[in-house]
Amino acid sequence: MDNHAIECVGVARKFGARNAVSDLNLGVPRGSVFGFLGPNGAGKTTTVRLLVGMLRPSAGTIQVLGHDPRTEGDWIRAHAGVMLDNVGLYDRLSAQQNLEFAAQVARLSPAEGRRRIEAQLKRVDLWDRRRDRVSGFSKGMRQKLGLARALIAEPELLILDEPTAGLDPSNIVMVRELLVSLAEEAGRTIFLCTHLLAEAQRICDQVAIIQQGKILAIGDPHRLGDQGAPTVRLTLTGVDATAITHLTLPDQVTVQPISGNDWRAVLGSEEEVETVVRALVEAGVGVRAVIPEQVSLEEEYLRLVGGDNHV
Amino acid sequence: MFEVWTMMRKEFAELAGNRRFFLVFLIAVLAMAFIPSLTYTHHHAGLGGIGVTFLAFYIPFAAVIVVANTAPDLVLHERVGHTLDYLLTTRLSDRAIFGAKVMTAFLVGYVAAMLAVGAQLLAVAILSRNGLHWLYLAVPSARIIVFGVTAGASLYVAVVGTFVALRVGEQRAAYMVTILSVFVLAVPFIVGWIPLSLTTQGVGRDAEGLAIIALALNVIGLRLFRRDMLVLYLQE
Repeated sequence: MDNHAIECVGVARKFGARNAVSDLNLGVPRGSVFGFLGPNGAGKTTTVRLLVGMLRPSAGTIQVLGHDPRTEGDWIRAHAGVMLDNVGLYDRLSAQQNLEFAAQVARLSPAEGRRRIEAQLKRVDLWDRRRDRVSGFSKGMRQKLGLARALIAEPELLILDEPTAGLDPSNIVMVRELLVSLAEEAGRTIFLCTHLLAEAQRICDQVAIIQQGKILAIGDPHRLGDQGAPTVRLTLTGVDATAITHLTLPDQVTVQPISGNDWRAVLGSEEEVETVVRALVEAGVGVRAVIPEQVSLEEEYLRLVGGDNHV
Repeated sequence: MFEVWTMMRKEFAELAGNRRFFLVFLIAVLAMAFIPSLTYTHHHAGLGGIGVTFLAFYIPFAAVIVVANTAPDLVLHERVGHTLDYLLTTRLSDRAIFGAKVMTAFLVGYVAAMLAVGAQLLAVAILSRNGLHWLYLAVPSARIIVFGVTAGASLYVAVVGTFVALRVGEQRAAYMVTILSVFVLAVPFIVGWIPLSLTTQGVGRDAEGLAIIALALNVIGLRLFRRDMLVLYLQE
């Protein structure tokens, strides 16, 4: 069995002359939580539509759960739960009726459908409101119901497009906790398009940053900003700037002043920190602290997409 | 077929919660029941067989009014509420989604027409004080108009209303185009390409022709509105 739930190779999608997605290459391991980050109009929703076969790619190949969305879109849609940025609930129906329809679409038996509807509504804390029309629901309740609907078929793959868009902080926390609990369930792959970088960093195993249809970076959210040279912050005593600049160090290692007793060492590899400390001590400089520097996902995101695309 | 039935159950559940739909349904049934009934009782002595047959045309008209309102609304409501996007992410086939909408609009119109027939017979019996009688249903050509032409016209309007609403996406424009499509049907008769005939054979041919046109348009519509094409329309 292919160990990727989603695999895109050289995928492009054009709308007229505009490239909504271009040269998209990514692999989402089965059972992982993959964050797909980018500003509005970056190509996230187009990618979701390509994954479930709602759109055909202009170029490249896509495999979702080992199937091609172009020719086996029906199979993919039957095995993936999708929640789009506009949740799309039936306002004239109750919460329960919305889920009953989803259960019927998933071809669940009536008894199994009832069991799952109850379980999902309780999970999103809407069981007591099950008979209420959705037209009276708040945005947060709609998002939660949309999540419950995406889960009704207990899909192998969950694709969530901005599940927290337009929510107030308390509802964001509520949906985030729900996502965390979903992420902890073994075996399910979650493809999460989000603006919430802190949450992505917290729950995603891997993230990709996309802008103008192109992937700018991809990797572990905790280390995405460390793809350049590793750095450490040094707090020194008895600083002799001349001695420090004349240290005997490997070619790719440099030690630069930040302010006062604080210096930064740019290393070729993490192991070279020992070499730097030894060289400093031999030069008569005291080393009080060595702190590895880590660029947060948010800092890296803003660096890549530019300051105008605030999240 | 299971998918079509699943979609249709959802459509009927939604219609049950739609007050505007019930209002249009009720007005169409009552108007098409009482206007001809009053005409009949007023001209009772003067109405010959042709006159009575003409009363039968109120029935397909009732169906057309209801379907022309319902078919675009079934689609536009989904477009506005983004539920059409949701449907396109499910395993439901394009044919099931749109076939169910056409079938629902058709059935709603046909049921409205049949209710109008029942109400007419009752109203005439009460207004004329002559007890129940079959009115135009006793005339074979009128029976074809009531059951056959009504079915053909309902299907035609259901198909046009559904696919026009998918492409146009605006309530008033979709409704206008749907109503205009009914008038388009009258052109061959007005121009004289098809002679107007109220004989059993003539109205039978018209009913069959309507059904064939409607089915052909349905096939064309399903081919044009494939999932990937529809997403592009929704993005416009």
